[in-house]
Amino acid sequence: MRLKRGVTIKIVTWVLCVLMLAGLYGCPGTTESGEKTGKLKVTDFRGKELVFTEPPQKVVCLIESALSGIYMLGQQNRVVGVPSSVYDQELYSYYSRLDERIKEQTLPTPGDWDFISLEQIIELEPDLVIIWASQTDAISSIEQFGIPVYAVMLHSFEDVYKEIEDFGKIMNCEERADSLIKYTAGTLENLREKYSSTQNKKSAYFMWSEGINETSGKNSTVTQLFQTAVVENACDMPSEHVTVSVEKIYDWDPDMIVMWNNKGMDPEDVLKDPLLQGLSAIQNGRVYELPEVFSCDFWTLKMQYPARLIAEWAYAEEIQSEILERELRRMYEVLYGKKLMK
Amino acid sequence: MKKGILTKLIVVLPLPILLLSLLVGASESISLAKIFSYEFWTNTSGSNLAHTILFHVRLPRILLVFITGAVLAVSGSAMQAVFRNPLVDPYILGLSSGAAFGAALAVSVLFIPVQLSAFIFGLAAVGLSYMMARKNRQISVVGLILAGVITNGIFTSLLTVVQIISNPLQLQSIVHWIMGSFHSANWDELNMVLFPVVAGGIVLYLFRWKLNVLALGDEESMSAGLNPGRIKIWILLSATLASSAVIAVSGIIGLYGLIVPHIVRMLMGVNNKTTMMINILLGGSFLVIIDNFSRSFKGFEIPVGVFTMLICAPFFIWLLKKSKIGWQQ
Repeated sequence: MRLKRGVTIKIVTWVLCVLMLAGLYGCPGTTESGEKTGKLKVTDFRGKELVFTEPPQKVVCLIESALSGIYMLGQQNRVVGVPSSVYDQELYSYYSRLDERIKEQTLPTPGDWDFISLEQIIELEPDLVIIWASQTDAISSIEQFGIPVYAVMLHSFEDVYKEIEDFGKIMNCEERADSLIKYTAGTLENLREKYSSTQNKKSAYFMWSEGINETSGKNSTVTQLFQTAVVENACDMPSEHVTVSVEKIYDWDPDMIVMWNNKGMDPEDVLKDPLLQGLSAIQNGRVYELPEVFSCDFWTLKMQYPARLIAEWAYAEEIQSEILERELRRMYEVLYGKKLMK
Repeated sequence: MKKGILTKLIVVLPLPILLLSLLVGASESISLAKIFSYEFWTNTSGSNLAHTILFHVRLPRILLVFITGAVLAVSGSAMQAVFRNPLVDPYILGLSSGAAFGAALAVSVLFIPVQLSAFIFGLAAVGLSYMMARKNRQISVVGLILAGVITNGIFTSLLTVVQIISNPLQLQSIVHWIMGSFHSANWDELNMVLFPVVAGGIVLYLFRWKLNVLALGDEESMSAGLNPGRIKIWILLSATLASSAVIAVSGIIGLYGLIVPHIVRMLMGVNNKTTMMINILLGGSFLVIIDNFSRSFKGFEIPVGVFTMLICAPFFIWLLKKSKIGWQQ
């Protein structure tokens, strides 16, 4: 049976009207987050102000570097959810020493830097969720349930300090945050001063784990790291992350190549790469790999250690492994306490 | 199995699947005993975790997944009929690459909502295909498919440029968006897709019998008193509108719009008048089942696009080998 054209149009119009009204009526589930009368105020990296009447008792942190900050502040008892990467072998060996719940693998993992399990997060009933600002969909979904979200986006050491400062404010441990920031800033300054009078400043090319063509340009944390070690970033491009040709690397001809920790490649492989044999860094055997991510994560206050290593690689006549090891242990002790030294 | 019984089975299929899917998830707060308890239905505040998770997390997601599956299946079926080509899916005119580029741009550069950007660029890509294919106020089917291939190429290249300049975090977000997921589904997203999906769906449903005539060819359609050019444009616009809306919230769910119409055709024959509804019901139900795997396979999300490929492809091959009913009939 076929409907007349006029009848069809009327039916379509009515159905659309009903649907639009249903859409306007909306669906339940949206509530405003946070009382705006408290004293604990911070502004996250989206520029959104978060106000707490008291420090959050249950925190879900889905960023490993931020989680590291919370453990440095000694606030791990507030953590009820961690990123799944914490249970990866390398990180687990550290976090299991810092937290018995991680050692026993009882701390839930409701997500990571890409995906979240919304219902697991809700089930944990957190007072605060810490997540990357780039996870916009996840943020809006979590906020719909009235759960405050602190969104993080790190582009510089100053951003790392702000993150720690904010955590200190929210979790009522401002003094500890302040002392950690001062310790780190002081260590970085000392390092800069130590090598600032160096006459023959070295240039370095940073190689991400994707391969020799992946590097970071001038406006990046890598450049800040190099500047702290009084080394010039060979890559003069402005981008934070950039893919370059081998020809371009020849143009820059860096004195050394610094590799981010790489599971599939080591400095020997780079030194033997026939494409790179004309580079000064290769000819002088100056290719170095940063050790495991936990000790060298420069999105945490541990950025001092990779900076120290790079300075050592650039300027020391002989690399003092024992001294570096001692300094690493000292840094761990200051940042995490004695637990990590077990 | 007789077609009548099969049809009845498919018609009742969504209800048990949707209800059972409400019980699937990572949360341990929900059990049958809890759902049948007095408190579950009387305390609807946020403190009733099971109620919140069931009605504000799982229900909108399941409905959104059902709608997405239904839209992709119906749009794929309609496009295969319009183009008279069994290899066509809703992405043929560059929709997926346009949407992916839009999403990547939103993640890395523009900082506007990902869904909005994906929707706009998805439509823009299809619009570009139309513009390229249009010559002397005429659009040929072959020209349109070729224009779609070119548009796909252009937007894939642009997507690569955005990926190159993105930092690893943004890159990861882009890659996962491209793989398709419903991990952040909520009532707002459901509201967002409802209007374009219903608007596009109604047009497709009203035109379903005309798809049979179009499948015979333009001359036959004209001799049946239809204007094939105009009808094709209406169908393509409607399918594109509905598909763009769901892709914008779900990401790209690969091959689903190609495979489900084939499965339906193998099971029910080629009459679009009846297969349209079967595509809606089977397409929706099947994707809900697949998404159940995606959200319960591990504690966190596995992209649903991965499962559509892993589950649909072997099933499709099995059906293809077992059944002699295919596109030819």
